Amino acid sequence: MHTLKGTKYAIFFGLLPALIIYLGIAVVPIGMSAYYSVMNWDGIQPMAFVGIDNYTEIFKDDIFWMTVKNNVFIMLTGIVGQIPAGLFLALLLNRKMRGAGFFRTIGFLPVVISSVMVSLIWGMVYNTEYGMLNSILSSIGLESWRQNWLGDTSWSLISISITYIWQNCGLFMVIFLAALQNIPTEVNEAAELDGATGFKKSMLITIPMIRGTILVTAVYSISNSFRVFDLIQIMTGGGPAHVTEVMTIYMYNNAFMNMRFGYGSAVSVLILLFSLIVVSIVNRVAKEKDA
Amino acid sequence: MRTSKKMKKVMLVGTVALTTLVSSACGNGNNAAESSGDSGDKVTLSFMHPWTSPNVDNEVYKARIAEFEKTHPNIVIKQDGVASAQYKTKLRTLAAANSLSDINVVWPGADLQPLVAGDLLLPIDSEMANWSSILPEDALAGFNQGGKQYAIPTKQTFVDIVYYNKEMFSSIGYEAFPDAYDKFIDAVKKLKEKNITPISLGNKEKWPLQSSILSTLQERFVGSDFLQKVLNKEAKFTDPQYVKALSVIEELTKLKAFNTDANNMDSVQAQDYFIQGKAAMHISSSTVDSRIRITNEEGDKFGIALMPSVEGGLGDAKKSAGVVQFGIAINSELDEKKKQAALEFMKFFVNEELYKELISKGVVVPAKVDIPEDASKYLKEMIALTGNGTSPVFDSVIPTQITDVMQNGLQAITVGVSTAEKVAQDVQTALDNLK
Repeated sequence: MHTLKGTKYAIFFGLLPALIIYLGIAVVPIGMSAYYSVMNWDGIQPMAFVGIDNYTEIFKDDIFWMTVKNNVFIMLTGIVGQIPAGLFLALLLNRKMRGAGFFRTIGFLPVVISSVMVSLIWGMVYNTEYGMLNSILSSIGLESWRQNWLGDTSWSLISISITYIWQNCGLFMVIFLAALQNIPTEVNEAAELDGATGFKKSMLITIPMIRGTILVTAVYSISNSFRVFDLIQIMTGGGPAHVTEVMTIYMYNNAFMNMRFGYGSAVSVLILLFSLIVVSIVNRVAKEKDA
Repeated sequence: MRTSKKMKKVMLVGTVALTTLVSSACGNGNNAAESSGDSGDKVTLSFMHPWTSPNVDNEVYKARIAEFEKTHPNIVIKQDGVASAQYKTKLRTLAAANSLSDINVVWPGADLQPLVAGDLLLPIDSEMANWSSILPEDALAGFNQGGKQYAIPTKQTFVDIVYYNKEMFSSIGYEAFPDAYDKFIDAVKKLKEKNITPISLGNKEKWPLQSSILSTLQERFVGSDFLQKVLNKEAKFTDPQYVKALSVIEELTKLKAFNTDANNMDSVQAQDYFIQGKAAMHISSSTVDSRIRITNEEGDKFGIALMPSVEGGLGDAKKSAGVVQFGIAINSELDEKKKQAALEFMKFFVNEELYKELISKGVVVPAKVDIPEDASKYLKEMIALTGNGTSPVFDSVIPTQITDVMQNGLQAITVGVSTAEKVAQDVQTALDNLK
């Protein structure tokens, strides 16, 4: 009895530093954001309480809804692009072959490069005048396919999505590879004895075995897509005319460029709510399937 | 699953918390400087400025700081150079966290207003005798609020200088820059026919169209007092004459006067484009003259001009849109010892010497000092061009939030998703809703 009590305290004190850090960098700032979000504040002069005015203004702002739409677009293309691409690469590399380590490194490389570099590199690829993409199109006789990839309103968001998928699918590849390697060899052997090989084995045995991992990555991919900021900020700055602007850029512009910290905080609270809602929907759907 | 939720929260909040962290970190830097100042005889002053790129004037400023430290061994200037594109954001964020540097570079008018309202800057009226003989009142006006002076400018920038390629214009039959708007449009069309990009524009950062092009059109169509009238609610952006000014950008877009990637290029890339002879005109500030002409071996190829008059315009075709820049201001919360040191620095830094050095490097200054013999012919030409009165720059008068709506609207016009009428309406609505 005595010793058990001692252990409880030890556990408490052992967790305390982590708890304090977590409270300090996660819970307290969320609380502060929520507090600022009901204020009108330019950051310098005293705050004025305005109730839900910021929220009603946000909901009435067409540009905000445009940024929500853009976030949803990035989220959907992210899920549809990153997970299958990551899974495909993982299946490809999850076998004994020469240079597997090399290819895994190559696949993972975009994740390690900073977003700033990724944005600058892809900015050059998409460049209208001397960009690689347009040059390739010209050199293979598809002159008419040349586009102003980042400057044309109908292409810019798609171009950004492609970069976003490219940047992240390596991470998903590594997660899937880890999951694939955890599948017991007996299962694989049994499947092969029963005549399931190649594509059939992947679809019927391997993928169902790592279903849990796929769900986790889906949740990760969603929450990731609501946070995307630097990539777009550097490539287009949210332009032209807001067509590539996402909620985080909208928040940044209002809070730090227009000095409306209350309004910006309200947007950040909404970002949190939106991603919580979408993630909980995914979790619910996943549970129903399990049942 | 729990961990992933936690992670997400942490990351999300990170975005918001980042700036707070950055600014509080800078605040700590300040405190450290203070304590070291108190402990010994040395006073350390932090100085935040946007002089990081290798411009001629930046070199003058830095040499001046070095000179000060040499002659004042008991005062240490701790410089915090921030790239100019991010400077205003950092200044505002630090102001919000109440941790401005001891000495700061500030912008006049609409940008200065919140800093003054928050009592963050030291009024320097008692020191003005140092500058009254060389700085005319209109050079100081932008840094004067409520009858008090808060900063001293170091340079004057005209934002609407049209740089043009003389050879290209002569190839379409214009030996001089067009002197009327119709001829200007005619030149654009002729350049286009010859497959030359008429105007190189780098509008990714969204300010060039607003600052350099709209400001000049505004002067030509509605005159210098229009923006103030709009703020006083005596005029509206939706007035037909102002819509006409905006529709010039619509017309230029339809004529494909700008390079196709105007919205993906930054202003420096657009300068390069022009210097390399890929476009016939570039509309930008007097600051870039040093790149385009003064330090450029082939500088003679390029001429400077102002946007010509328009028929029925209410403004003055000789006026150039300009602002005084780089006001040196002192933090209001310094202790006596640091305050004296900061004032000492200010007196040394901004004086006749500085203005003369800037002039001899080809930079226009707001002070009345004799132009030295060795000043470049380009500078003399610039001073002659811009010496016929100054008209306001849009974003130096109009509050930032409204400028943001205007900038996005102008960008929307250039990609064909908005019209002059709609942008005028949006900007006016934003102004009406301003709290």
